[in-house]
Amino acid sequence: MSEPQRTPQSQSPDFSAWVDEHGDYLYKYAMFRLRDGSAAEDAVQETFLAALKAYRGFEGRGSERTWLVGILKHKVTDHFRRITREAPIGEAEDETPDHNEFFTRTDEWTNHWNADHAPSEWHSTPAELVERSDFWKVLNDCLSPLPKRTASVFTLREVDGLSSEEICEMLSISVNNLWVILHRARLHLRNCLEINWFTKDATH
Amino acid sequence: MTLKAYDKIKHSIRWWLLRRLPTCKQTVKVISESMERQISLREWINLKLHLWICLWCVWYLEHLRLMRDTIHAKAAQESNLDASSLPPLSPEARERMKQTLSQRRD
Repeated sequence: MSEPQRTPQSQSPDFSAWVDEHGDYLYKYAMFRLRDGSAAEDAVQETFLAALKAYRGFEGRGSERTWLVGILKHKVTDHFRRITREAPIGEAEDETPDHNEFFTRTDEWTNHWNADHAPSEWHSTPAELVERSDFWKVLNDCLSPLPKRTASVFTLREVDGLSSEEICEMLSISVNNLWVILHRARLHLRNCLEINWFTKDATH
Repeated sequence: MTLKAYDKIKHSIRWWLLRRLPTCKQTVKVISESMERQISLREWINLKLHLWICLWCVWYLEHLRLMRDTIHAKAAQESNLDASSLPPLSPEARERMKQTLSQRRD
């Protein structure tokens, strides 16, 4: 009596079944972190290729999905590193709009809010906003004019909830640099959301 | 009469303070950094005084918090990937991957 061999090494895994079984999950994971369809697709593809190469090392420890997600996490980190390497040092800081015009005034109160750009009241709660299905679209549209690295820094900090230290290490930037980038990203985003979302809402 | 006098005094204090406190431009930077680091006691006092007299900066602070809270809540909702509203892999991408995988396998 011989038991059917179940160890992965002895059985040639059906790689196209991997794509059917785990493709959507991995893609959603990558989309969640990268918010960019083609970058997410690349990361998933690279994950499957790396898995194909390393399959012998897997030896069926734990679930296949957990193993694949582990590989994907590295691919996502690589993607962020690549963006930073491609951008010269200081680029994000220099090219992110500083929106000085928000604080330009002709009277004696210069460097205080210019009334045309000053915040207005939003009358919204997180609970209401979370229900909006277009939330990520509006946020992405507002992030897209920013340099890629600035958008990545903001996403890593706010969506992934990484700490300042983790981001600085991952992207090899100084903590002061990080604060300036985040500050400018927030200044830009708040204004963009107000124009494209809150004032539009008011006219509904 | 007393109300008018009170308003006048308040206005004078406000004007006097605004002249001495960090500007709105400096304050919004501190507001953002207060989300990243422990701000100093001096920064904290200046911030509180500035917020006491400047409604625009109060709203700015509220908006940054609202943005952060909403993004966190939305991210938590979506970290359950099976139930999330994120798009699945397109049929074309799925096919491309299968092809690449079968080519590499040979």
